[in-house]
Amino acid sequence: MSEAAARLLANTSKGIQGRALLALEDGTVFAGRSCGASGEVTGEVCFNTSLVGYLEVLTDPSYAGQIICMTYPQIGNYGVAEDDVQRRRVHARGLVVRDMCAAPSSWRSDLSLPEFLARENIVCIEGVDTRALVRHIREHGAMTGVLSTEDADAASLVAKAQAAPRLEGQNLVQSVSDAEGVRTVPPAGHGFAQAPAAAASRHVVAYDCGVKDSILENLVRAGCCVTCVPWDAPAEEVLALQPDGVFLSNGPGDPDAVAATQAEAQKLIGRVPLFGICLGHQMLGLAAGARAEKLKYGHRGGNHPVQNLITGRVEITAQNHGFGILFESLGSLIPEESGGFAHHEADLRAWAERSVAPVVRNARFGRIQLTHVNLNDGTLEGIRFVDVPAFSVQYHPEASPGPADAHYLFSAFMRLMAGEADPLAIDSAQERLAGWRFGGEAHASA
Amino acid sequence: MPQRDDIKKVLVIGSGPIVIGQACEFDYSGAQACKVLKECGVDVVLVNSNPATIMTDPGLAARTYVEPVTAEFVEKVIERERPDALLPTLGGQTGLNCAVELAESGVLERFGVEMIGCDLAAIQRGEDRKLFNECMEELGIETARAGYAYSVEDALRIVEGIGYPVVIRPSFTLGGAGGGIAHDEAELVRIVSQGVSLSPAGEVLVEESIEGWKEFEMEVMRDAAGNGIIVCSIENLDPMGVHTGDSITVAPAQTLTDLEYQRMRAASLAVLEKIGVETGGSNVQFAVNPEDGRMVIIEMNPRVSRSSALASKATGFPIAKAAAKLALGYTLPEIQNDITKATPACFEPSIDYCVVKVPRFAFEKFQGADDTLSTRMKAVGEVMAIGRTFEEALGKALRSMEDGRAGFGGDAKASSEAAASEEELACGVSRPTPARIHFLAEALRRGQSVEGLHASTGIDPFFLGRMKDIVEVERALSGMRLDELDAEAFRICKRIGLSDAQIAHLTGSDEATVRTCRKMCHVVPAVKTVDTCAAEFASFTEYHYKTYDADETEATSSERPRVMILGAGPNRIGQGIEFDYCCVHASYALHDAGYETIMVNCNPETVSTDYDTSDKLYFEPLTFEDVMDIVEVEKPEGVIVTLGGQTPLKLARVLADAGVPIMGTSPEAIDLAEDRDRFSAILDELGIAYPPSGMASTLSEARIVADRIGFPLLVRPSYVLGGRGMGIVYDAAQLEKYMAEAAKVSPDHPIYLDRFLEGAVEVDLDALCDGEDVYVGAILEHIEMAGIHSGDSACCTPPFSLSESVQATLRSIARELALRLGVVGLINIQFAIKDQVIYIIEANPRASRTVPFASKATGVPLAKLAARIMAGEKLAEMGLPPDDRRLDHFSVKEAVMPFGRFPGADTVLGPEMKSTGEVMGIARNFPCAFAKTQLAIDYELPKGGTVFVSVCDHDKRAFTSIARDFARLGFSLVATEGTASALRAVGIDCNVVKKIHEGSPNVTDLIASGEVVLLVNTPFGNATRDDGYEIRTEAVRRGITQVTNLAGAQALTAGMEAARANGLDVVALQDLPQWEREEAPHGA
Repeated sequence: MSEAAARLLANTSKGIQGRALLALEDGTVFAGRSCGASGEVTGEVCFNTSLVGYLEVLTDPSYAGQIICMTYPQIGNYGVAEDDVQRRRVHARGLVVRDMCAAPSSWRSDLSLPEFLARENIVCIEGVDTRALVRHIREHGAMTGVLSTEDADAASLVAKAQAAPRLEGQNLVQSVSDAEGVRTVPPAGHGFAQAPAAAASRHVVAYDCGVKDSILENLVRAGCCVTCVPWDAPAEEVLALQPDGVFLSNGPGDPDAVAATQAEAQKLIGRVPLFGICLGHQMLGLAAGARAEKLKYGHRGGNHPVQNLITGRVEITAQNHGFGILFESLGSLIPEESGGFAHHEADLRAWAERSVAPVVRNARFGRIQLTHVNLNDGTLEGIRFVDVPAFSVQYHPEASPGPADAHYLFSAFMRLMAGEADPLAIDSAQERLAGWRFGGEAHASA
Repeated sequence: MPQRDDIKKVLVIGSGPIVIGQACEFDYSGAQACKVLKECGVDVVLVNSNPATIMTDPGLAARTYVEPVTAEFVEKVIERERPDALLPTLGGQTGLNCAVELAESGVLERFGVEMIGCDLAAIQRGEDRKLFNECMEELGIETARAGYAYSVEDALRIVEGIGYPVVIRPSFTLGGAGGGIAHDEAELVRIVSQGVSLSPAGEVLVEESIEGWKEFEMEVMRDAAGNGIIVCSIENLDPMGVHTGDSITVAPAQTLTDLEYQRMRAASLAVLEKIGVETGGSNVQFAVNPEDGRMVIIEMNPRVSRSSALASKATGFPIAKAAAKLALGYTLPEIQNDITKATPACFEPSIDYCVVKVPRFAFEKFQGADDTLSTRMKAVGEVMAIGRTFEEALGKALRSMEDGRAGFGGDAKASSEAAASEEELACGVSRPTPARIHFLAEALRRGQSVEGLHASTGIDPFFLGRMKDIVEVERALSGMRLDELDAEAFRICKRIGLSDAQIAHLTGSDEATVRTCRKMCHVVPAVKTVDTCAAEFASFTEYHYKTYDADETEATSSERPRVMILGAGPNRIGQGIEFDYCCVHASYALHDAGYETIMVNCNPETVSTDYDTSDKLYFEPLTFEDVMDIVEVEKPEGVIVTLGGQTPLKLARVLADAGVPIMGTSPEAIDLAEDRDRFSAILDELGIAYPPSGMASTLSEARIVADRIGFPLLVRPSYVLGGRGMGIVYDAAQLEKYMAEAAKVSPDHPIYLDRFLEGAVEVDLDALCDGEDVYVGAILEHIEMAGIHSGDSACCTPPFSLSESVQATLRSIARELALRLGVVGLINIQFAIKDQVIYIIEANPRASRTVPFASKATGVPLAKLAARIMAGEKLAEMGLPPDDRRLDHFSVKEAVMPFGRFPGADTVLGPEMKSTGEVMGIARNFPCAFAKTQLAIDYELPKGGTVFVSVCDHDKRAFTSIARDFARLGFSLVATEGTASALRAVGIDCNVVKKIHEGSPNVTDLIASGEVVLLVNTPFGNATRDDGYEIRTEAVRRGITQVTNLAGAQALTAGMEAARANGLDVVALQDLPQWEREEAPHGA
């Protein structure tokens, strides 16, 4: 930075910082200042619109291979509470913010975000016009970028971005599947806000494709004892553990590249109750022969409205995916179970307007019902296998970060394992406060 | 669910006059709702007594009743209009209380009116602390430990259990009126007794103090299908203990982790469901212990509120609009997001900027009032600013305040804090006051630590840390010269929120040079958009702010010529909603005339800052720097500065000097009217009389002037506006006292002395001038005599006592003067008529406070016409009705005083304006119209009982006829010795009561006993610390109607008599002949 700039910032919480550059493969370059580790990283640049929860985002293994831009401009305000980390290490490649807070404030904070980033060796740039970056990605689609504190030559960085391998086709799951043998205990530090776990009544095996701790914690709180297995664990070995249900986790990257999980899921469908979230949902879909597509710039944030077509309720959901599966590719509609409609709709919001949860005839597993639709863009958000016990959602009921409207899906999984006919018919408002703790429970009559 | 087809006609109740705690945010929300209901094909029946509201423009509703917002009058409206449903949640606490009264008394049932949005039971659960606490207990959500008291004894018993300090909240009062924090028994006794008397239920809540905890608000919406969303979270910078309306607040919440935020979110939605808010918006407030995250719910409002208006402006999500649709049966997913036009309203806005709201106070107007902020709201207005960081938004908000500050910390005015002793500084920091934010800057400048300041203020270290960074940059900057700053350094300064004026101050330069240097470095602001979605989706609404992110600007261009309208800034006493009304009308008119309209304003409460009022909205401070930045981006054909009151008017000259095209009256003509000497010369030239006057810098000079022009004198400092520091002196002794007390009198700041025309009738006149022709919109005759600020005086149009020939003379003077000054647009002239001589007191070539009232009374939309004139149209082409036509209804405007909020402040009216708002009454004769205004303010006219009278000697003779009227109307009179003997002398029965110093029982005991229903007290001179002061402040505490001048007393007796004789009927504006020709309004 210039001498005048250095003089101005010298005694602020930021202090004197080095330069950093973010270069995109299409030649766009953003300049800023370094506020994390030094280095140079390459990844797909994506943005997340959550106002809070930067730490949960950074440590979500689904962001492996990506450089995240947070749209809220001031990041790091409440520091880092290690209890909120979603996996032991940071999986995102880099972070882009408008303004980094080096002097955080929260009774829960263990260290500041810049300190955490430096400790975890994550490169971060601040001072970027993040809104301009977001609009650029929105208009031109997801693209590869290089974030560097070392190379000050914009042209060289653009060249590196162009030469980098693209996200599509890469199996990033194998690099983040490391939860085998982990015993999930909800962090004691969450006890002020979250209810203690129910007594374990079900044994669930979780395929770890990069699972978030909060998903495992939610399963535990719902009454599951969870055993994690690697992303490619053979179905027979899983069944040998005699689970009451199998969970397919979230995970990073292109679902088509995660062949082993799909293949094992295909063997499991119909033999054990299944629940999938995000990549796990895509695995179930692909196992049923569906086609996946890459979204132009993904869904990442905590404010996406999703309608449950079974109850009609809208949930505000946490989302993090760049790929999705296509409902029409699961089979042809069964008109008598689809409100009389015989043709697929490219925009699934049509079904929300009709208040119909359509059912298709799937070549492999019988009937599959569309249960959840994204109201922003009409994409697929959830399906239920009618003739075998399985359902999945594209979004994140565990939130972390994000609204907890969809927490009921963990109860739905319990109902599925209990053999109930309509596991998803839960009024989300009834479960609004489930799992939370407010301190006044001692007096609660209900 | 689609729209209900059984609702064809909906009654909407407005919030009445602007008072502290209930300002124009309810016009904003009500106007939105009316528009939406109309779009949905529903007939709106509206009741609101406030004429300066957009919602009462005929055309926005099918039937508009400018009538008192009381159960009595609304019942009359219901009886006549037979609406299917009542929407009670848009008119603030006043509207809600009125709806509750109508429901409880069975009126709604009798006429088959359904309450939609929120039913009676839900309102009661939300508003009644006991029911509310029970609901929270069932949910398991903690509330503060507390108990209910109906007397001081009850309160003492409760405190034994929970210990001091305790918070006292009276039930069912506006903006927490009558509440407070008691740290000991003495305070408890004082606050509880006051609270019990102020609460309509005679009830106060006494609860454990959570003073110093963090405070949050969640703005929630829900539909009939049970879908719920959080529109916005708000974090208060001032911790618990300061009313939210008086706190600096920040959106979104800044210091909650996701875990804590989501817990609060879930609780908020559960609370709405539990309380039973069927549809619409509510706000839920929480306190969080900063040590351990313990979360306690404070309250919820089952209606749109000041905070929901702020949340709408902060996010771009129109809460009131959505609430109205939801009440008709739509669900959230069925409503489209107005801004993206592609996604549903059922989502939670994501914002990519920070919003800071700062309240605006008016303590300088109320001598004797304590300026410590507490749980009882005292702010009269607020500003909002948008920046990419908290620092930037804070700086912008503080320079929007119209209080002479240029931002946070270093500016020319910071010397006052810099001069504070360590002790004064410590007090300035720890005591919450309007100035605390500036004392914090000084404390940080002196090197105090964030931890220490957190301990003494309870303000979260996050905010203090951000402030410390600003101060550190300022400190570094103050050691540098302007020419040392490069682009990067400029950008750092601007991004941290410093204004050009601050940079100039700190580097020893001037603002113009800073601007030039900054632009030479290419450091100019970028335009960004408020789009509800953090740019995730394309947006089509031009709602903008400026920031110093350099990579991209989102300004757009269009084919149409552009007009920029400068708004009025924060509401304060002397500059309120009336000016916003004019700006909004100008925008509508110019849009219809083919212009692209660009509104610039920083007041979140207003209709002007609704994103669909103008073609483009810039939510920005009204300073030279910010306005010039926007001018340079938008390149308008013209800028309108004469409709937003003083704020834009005082920019006229500097903008014109910078080459900005000013529309309408030229800055030169504005100066001509404002410069006393030049203006006097014009009056002399035209042969118009004006009161003799002079100027003085010392007492001896003042004496000489007084000798020349004679007593009584109206005296005022030259350096203030809005009548601040004005007084009337009757003799040399009083003049001496005034000169001794008048601060800062010096050769640079002399005082003005005008002959005071005692007993003169004052008249306001609003006129339009196009340079060739003049059209007098209305002549408004004041009820109070000269000497009372025109904003505080009641007035009537058409005049009730002026002859046709006097009115014709007034019109001809106005014509000559407007043409001579070169007015193009509006002009307001104040006259005083004494002994058949017409004097001009002043002329203002701009929109006046009375324009909305005059427009509503006459059916001639003055502000719209003014805008069209400024755009080049001629009066002759406008087809206006003759300005000397006779109207067959009288319209009275009466001012609304905030004295109840300022215990200790005197209630006497004088040359300094003190009112916050106004009401209008319309009737076939003047007394009935006046009576309606009194009902609209006090909600009840005394029907009998004791009238206490104490008038100054000089009024004693004139009072006797009024006293006779009181007696005839069945009131008994009580007076102090002097007044009593004067009344007895003319044969009027009157009891004597002791003065305060004469021992007890005296007059205050009589007032305290509750026997007195009305107080007539006319003081003499400006000696306020006498018996009269004690009596008047006691009456304020007891909520007793009081009149402090004879003219008011006379109008009141006439009104009571007329109301008794004929009863007061309701009238819809649409039924008045003057409104028959009104065109369809914009946007409807």
